[in-house]
Amino acid sequence: MHFQSRQIAAACSAIIFALCLSIPAKAQKKGAPSSSASSKKAASFVKQIDFVGLRNALTPSNKPLLINFWATWCDPCREEFPDLVKLDAEYKGKIDFITISLDELSEIDRDVPKFLLEMKAGMPAYLLKAVDDDAAIAFVSKEWSGALPLTILYDAAGKQIYYRQGKVKIDTVRGELDKLLIPAN
Amino acid sequence: MFRKSAVLFAVLTLSVFLLNPTAGNAGDFAIGTALENFSLPDTGGTVRSLNEVKGKNGTVVIFLSAQCPVVKGYNERISQLAANYQSKGINFIGINSNHTESLDWVKSNAAENYKFPVLIDKGNVIADKLGASVTPEAYYFDAKNVLLYHGAIDNDRSGKAPSDNYLRVAFDASLSGQPIEKNRANAFGCSIKRVGE
Repeated sequence: MHFQSRQIAAACSAIIFALCLSIPAKAQKKGAPSSSASSKKAASFVKQIDFVGLRNALTPSNKPLLINFWATWCDPCREEFPDLVKLDAEYKGKIDFITISLDELSEIDRDVPKFLLEMKAGMPAYLLKAVDDDAAIAFVSKEWSGALPLTILYDAAGKQIYYRQGKVKIDTVRGELDKLLIPAN
Repeated sequence: MFRKSAVLFAVLTLSVFLLNPTAGNAGDFAIGTALENFSLPDTGGTVRSLNEVKGKNGTVVIFLSAQCPVVKGYNERISQLAANYQSKGINFIGINSNHTESLDWVKSNAAENYKFPVLIDKGNVIADKLGASVTPEAYYFDAKNVLLYHGAIDNDRSGKAPSDNYLRVAFDASLSGQPIEKNRANAFGCSIKRVGE
């Protein structure tokens, strides 16, 4: 009987461990199909995406989708990040919120995850490495010059609701999110 | 009848303008548009005009920043391009429209990196006029100040292996009398820090 309990405890521990390992994978669901991260980068929780991954990432899945494009070398991006983390905490579960870094690929397991950890950012995090930045920028928005940061909010149907090139004003984003979410309540 | 139609047309036109937030936006400075002469002080305080600095075969107005790491990564390439094409009649004018960067900072950065004048765009007047929003961002005008190319310098901010040298290709095409096939290209960079933002 005592032996059985130990076996059950061991099995439970194994299941919990396996679940813990699967959480980051679930959190990274958007844009995952076209990931081309090398095994060297597998240790980072920041996922590399290409143009196809970007297209997938910009497609809402039955929820409003907030996307922030940023880079560690961009001062206003770093300055606005605490507000983004706040928004993520406030709207968790009600919206999808992802961040896409435009840092060099070499930073995918260095400065990018380091900064996100410092910020305690829990949003799924990607790093875009497109063959053609010009095409990627045009795909995101015809209005976009490539200046960072950029934040876009789409409704659940994929319609652009909010577009901000430059630092966001957190109350404005809250207002747009609340307008989107109230009809659903 | 004619009067009614004219009023209706005016109302519709105004509606389209009001409903479209980008209509009339400074960002609409299109290829083929002529830039009026303008004057701004350089880092030494001397007022310089476009027509005074422009080259006999054209001018590049390039938005710069003393702080932006992307601009820093491009500085050597910008200087090289400016040196290579000055002898071919294309002059460069740098513009700093970032209200967050002090004159001393911009001055020392310009002295360190560029042999062409860097003008101070206080109040981001020229940035607004051209719709510039990122650094580095280049506008290449012909000898009559008509915009031929707008956007990125090349397609590799690391500088390791650019496969498309947009600006250089635009220079070479126009200097040889050929059309510029790609007259618009964007690249990731730093946002221009405008007054009030």
